[in-house]
Parts: sequence; structure tokens; C-alpha cells
Amino acid sequence: MAGFVPPNKAGVVLKQVKSILVQFCPFEANVEATRKFLECLYAKKAVASSVGCEVKTDVRHDGSEPVVDIVFADGDRLIMKGANLTTKEMLLAFNSRCAVKELKEQEKTQKNT
Amino acid sequence: GSGGGGKGKRSWLPTLHVVRHGSKAVTRHWKPMHLERQKLMAVTEYIPPKPAIPERCLKPLVKKIEEETGYERLVRRQAVEAFRESRMITVCQYNSLSNDDMLMLRHQLRKHNIHVKFFPNEIIIPFLLESKYVNLLPLFVGRNIVLVSPETKAKEMLRMLKRVPQIVLLGACIENTILSKEGVVKFSKLPSLEVAQGEMVGTLSLVASQTSSLLCRSSLHLTALLDQYVKQQSNGTGETNVQAEMGPAESSQGV
Repeated sequence: MAGFVPPNKAGVVLKQVKSILVQFCPFEANVEATRKFLECLYAKKAVASSVGCEVKTDVRHDGSEPVVDIVFADGDRLIMKGANLTTKEMLLAFNSRCAVKELKEQEKTQKNT
Repeated sequence: GSGGGGKGKRSWLPTLHVVRHGSKAVTRHWKPMHLERQKLMAVTEYIPPKPAIPERCLKPLVKKIEEETGYERLVRRQAVEAFRESRMITVCQYNSLSNDDMLMLRHQLRKHNIHVKFFPNEIIIPFLLESKYVNLLPLFVGRNIVLVSPETKAKEMLRMLKRVPQIVLLGACIENTILSKEGVVKFSKLPSLEVAQGEMVGTLSLVASQTSSLLCRSSLHLTALLDQYVKQQSNGTGETNVQAEMGPAESSQGV
């Protein structure tokens, strides 16, 4: 078990995200990381920081791999195939990209003002 | 002077024992031992006996079997009861929900006699392993809640859950059949038992009613149909001795 991440401490900030789609097949054995990631997305802090971000869950039963499809506010897309990822890796990838976009936006607002 | 002396002198008189630097034997700071004493201590240090193979390698690791607490036994009993008495068991993933929303959801579900139960994974997993619900085991990862109900009102349950996106329906066991989410959706769209029974009766009696309507119509029509049937049979088999003519059809009434 590679480190348990409580959802509140995951540090997920949904400000730069437009929509998230999480697809998985719960009867498969490789969905633990994706489900934990989903739990982190609904944490209080994440929900408080979101600006109209939709989080959709698609539960299937066709043996397909778990996929997280994130569309950012500036049009970028991040697709994470969670079959062989851990929750920490997924959070790291997601949070780092969010931080980069946040910086860019701050720079833009500073330039404007 | 005679006898006594400073450090380094081999011979000493016990009466005259001059100590240089005025320091005493027992000091508040750390005082290094005399060299001879240091040597003596080093030589006489304790060396514990070492067995050829350390004990760690020989003794098997004994895991402490913790006894079940009374609380765990209670929760397990509750789980057993819940699973035994319900016809519909639904497993959902529980993501954080505000207390108000959770209360509303519980209230709405309670109206349809659906109870929301939460069991810790350590208790429910061994229970499932031994029961007939073994195939629900892969669902129990992370935080889950179980909705149990003695009735099977899947449609209402789906409607409530649609309003709360934080609760994700993973799978269910309805009437001893394990269903995925699609299965539950399809189950909810099934007509009720009475309607299904009515449809079945209708289909079965359709054949009989068709025959009776055939017979009630004019006998000419009937004889024409039977002629055609005979021709088809003779074309197929090549030998039939069926009477093509039949008397006027009996007017059979009733269904």
C-alpha cells in the first residue's frame, strides 16, 4: 500500500479546471487509485475552490481500464490511465499542472493591472 | 619531597596523596578516567555470548492475533442481519458530503424503506469472504456505504442518487443476483410483477384467441386456408392423406 492520502490533505484545487470525467469498472482490481483520486476531488477544500467545475463519474462493466479525463479552463486536456498509477502520482501530475496554470494566470493579471 | 608525588610516579604512600589541579574524584563535569583505569575498563568489557546462528533467523515471526472487541462483534452482527434481511443491497462509493445533504439523502431514502448503513472495511471484507456475496468483494475499496432494503424500489433509489453526485453507485445485489450499474438501471425499467404477469397471460392467450377467431369466421375462409396448408405439407413431405373438406366450423364461443 503506497501511502494513504486523506482527501482533505490532498491539496486539490479545482480553480483552473473546467470539467473532469472519471470512468472505471468497479469490479476490476486496478481501480483503487482512481477511486481514491475521485474521493480527493470531492474534498471540502476542492469543492470550495472550484468555479463551476463539473465532476462526472461513469461506472461501467466492460472490463475497460480506469481513465481520468480532465479539461482545463484554457483548453488543455489531461488524460490519466489509472490502471498502473498510484493515487499520489495522479495527484502530483494534476496538482503540478494546476499550479503552473495558476502562475500563468497570476502573471497575466499582474501584466494587465 | 619524599614519597608522595605528582602524576606518573609509580610508588606512592597512602598517607601522603597529593592530587594535582585540586580536582576531586567526583566532579560535576565529565572527567576523563585515569589512563590505567581506562585500560582496565577496556580490557574487562563485557562481551555477550553470540550463538552461531542468531536467534532472529531461527524463530519464526509470531504475529499477535488481536482479539475481537465487543464493538467489532456488534458491528459484524449488524452486518449479518442487514445482509440477511434485505432483498436489495446496493454498494456505493461515499465521497465527502455535507452533513445536511447526507441527512436529506437518508431521510429521502428512509421514506422508501431504504436504510443507509456504513460498515468498516476490516469487518465487512472477512464477512463477505465467507458468505455467498463473495463477488461483491472487489467493490469494497476505500469508503463505501451500503443501502439495504427489504423491498426492491430501484427506480426511486436511482432518482435520489442522481441528485447527489458525491454518492457513486458501484453495484448491487437484488434478489440474490449481482448487478452492475447498468443492470440496476435496466432492473428499474422493468415493469412491475403484476404488469409482467398480465403481459405473459396476454401473449399465451393470443394464440388461443387467434385460433378461436379463425374458427368463428366463415367456413369458406377456413377451408381455403386448410387447402393451402395441405398443399404446403404435400410439397414438403410428398405424402398426405388429409381430408381437405371439413364440415361447417363449430361456433365455439369464449376465449
